[in-house]
Amino acid sequence: MAAYEHIIETRGLVKRYGKLTAVSDLSVQVPRGAIYGFVGPNGAGKTTTMRILTTLITPTAGDAYVAGYSVVTYPREVRRAIGYMPDFFGVYDDMKVWEYLDFFAACYEIPERERPKLIDDLLALVDLSHRREDMVEKLSRGMKQRLSLARTLAHDPEVLILDEPASGLDPRARIEIRELLVEMAQMGKTIFFSSHILADVAEICTHLGVIESGEMVAQGTVAEIRRQLMPTREIMITLLDRVDEAKEALLHVPGVESIQDMPDDHGRKRIRVDFGGDDAGVSEMLKALSSRGVPVVNFAEETRDLEAVFMRATKGIVS
Amino acid sequence: MAVSTPSDRTLRHRLRRLLADNPVVLKELRGRMRGARAFIVLTIYLGLLGAFSSLIYVAVSESATRVSGQVNVGEIGRTLFGGVVAIEMLLVSFIAPAFTSGAISGEREHQTYDLLRTTLLPSHSLVWGKLVSALSFVLLLLLAAIPLQSIAFFFGGVAETEVILSFVILTATALLFSTIGLYFSARSSRTLSASVLTYALATFIMFGLPIVLGSVLWIIEPSLDNIQSVQAERAVIYALGVIISTNPAATALMSQYILVNQRTTGTFAYTLNNGQDMTLISPWVPFTVLYVLLTVVFFVLAVRRVRVIEE
Repeated sequence: MAAYEHIIETRGLVKRYGKLTAVSDLSVQVPRGAIYGFVGPNGAGKTTTMRILTTLITPTAGDAYVAGYSVVTYPREVRRAIGYMPDFFGVYDDMKVWEYLDFFAACYEIPERERPKLIDDLLALVDLSHRREDMVEKLSRGMKQRLSLARTLAHDPEVLILDEPASGLDPRARIEIRELLVEMAQMGKTIFFSSHILADVAEICTHLGVIESGEMVAQGTVAEIRRQLMPTREIMITLLDRVDEAKEALLHVPGVESIQDMPDDHGRKRIRVDFGGDDAGVSEMLKALSSRGVPVVNFAEETRDLEAVFMRATKGIVS
Repeated sequence: MAVSTPSDRTLRHRLRRLLADNPVVLKELRGRMRGARAFIVLTIYLGLLGAFSSLIYVAVSESATRVSGQVNVGEIGRTLFGGVVAIEMLLVSFIAPAFTSGAISGEREHQTYDLLRTTLLPSHSLVWGKLVSALSFVLLLLLAAIPLQSIAFFFGGVAETEVILSFVILTATALLFSTIGLYFSARSSRTLSASVLTYALATFIMFGLPIVLGSVLWIIEPSLDNIQSVQAERAVIYALGVIISTNPAATALMSQYILVNQRTTGTFAYTLNNGQDMTLISPWVPFTVLYVLLTVVFFVLAVRRVRVIEE
């Protein structure tokens, strides 16, 4: 096995269904240990990509590598390296919670004598120890999702591939899943998960890939993407008066690209400055205003949330 | 090699792997035997079988007394035994596919198929596990009915050999019909279509095939008779043998007839019209061989279908 830099890597991945191209020349690169958020609108090709990575479908062209193994040539090695959670919960209606885990542990060839301890540990991790003897179908949606996560960990895989792990959950369950993902990352797992809801992704990801219509729009660390898609910073300035004078002063500061008037805030004037400079430049702006005696009430950099970044990246299709 | 494993340990190990270590077998049996369901199925099955046996007993003992004036006990025994086996055959050929035709398509419908496919569970283990767990319940039904079959012993006229023969034929039937169910289940995304296809084929084998082959033979037989040659007679007898060996009911009846009249479960000599002898074999042998072979074929086809990675 050749040494590999990325634990998940696709090269020129293409998947066509007849005339429809679900994935087109996609290159995903997930570094080891990352929490990689794979974001895009519904139908962008996220699930298709994940099904290729989990050896469930074969690519039309290109190849994908997981832990250094090609999904086309070494599906079994890939399966050993991944824990997969689809975007639905597979229910066996006649199984107890521990039996569910026991069954999948057995499918992953974990010896019988090691399973009871493993099941205890997994249930404790996802906080379901008290539901051990209950039937799976009796669990709430959030609990089923947690049980699913426990299942993906049964064979101690290097990578977790999770398709929409938080979809359809209530806010509380969503937070629980998010916390679990962080905990799993701390256990050393690489997490590759998809979502069309940005809030899920924004808080916990180290890396992001934005997919739209089967193509990668942007990829990298969260900071890189922010820079890549939003090269300027936004400074919001609230003034008592003398707006035109303030604009005049600011335009002389290097790095200021444009200034927009914003709606008044309780009679106070507001302007927004698009700024391409560094922190020293920001301080220059404030100095320019105060040296002229412009009455500044508030001066703050708007932190642009990822939502805004994605709105720009995906032309507003992301919900 | 530091350690050499004795062959008997390997064999036991292999058997254990085939039957007990298969996660699917364990899961299916846990599910199937849980709660009252299995108990109720078994009770209803035995209840029906018992009721039919009683009916047959009443009917046969009535007519046996009336016709000959004295009771022919052996005949009651034989009819009772035949009746139970016939009902079992009908039940087995329709229960066995019911257990398997949803086995793999059901995983698709429950959306657990993808989960299984991404585990290390090999395709053949999945199919094998489904087959073993379905068959073990069918075997339980067959074994549970043996005491009912054995009531015939009270009346005489039935030998242990017949009980064993019937068991072999029923088991071979269950084996093939289960595997046919599995094959269609592996092919279909919906259990409904898998069931329809399975029952269509099962019905064809049980009723259609003998009718079709029988009519063909019935049509061509007179012309063969006209030839009056030994070859033609042989051909007709072989053709008959093949027809009988494709059908469990015909096989059971004919094997029983040969057992009673020729006192054999193996080969016997049949005298042709010109006085020549021809060696024939009791149909349960070719039947069992044929059904086991077909089982293997359908099993392999099912595994191949499961192994396919979607394009």
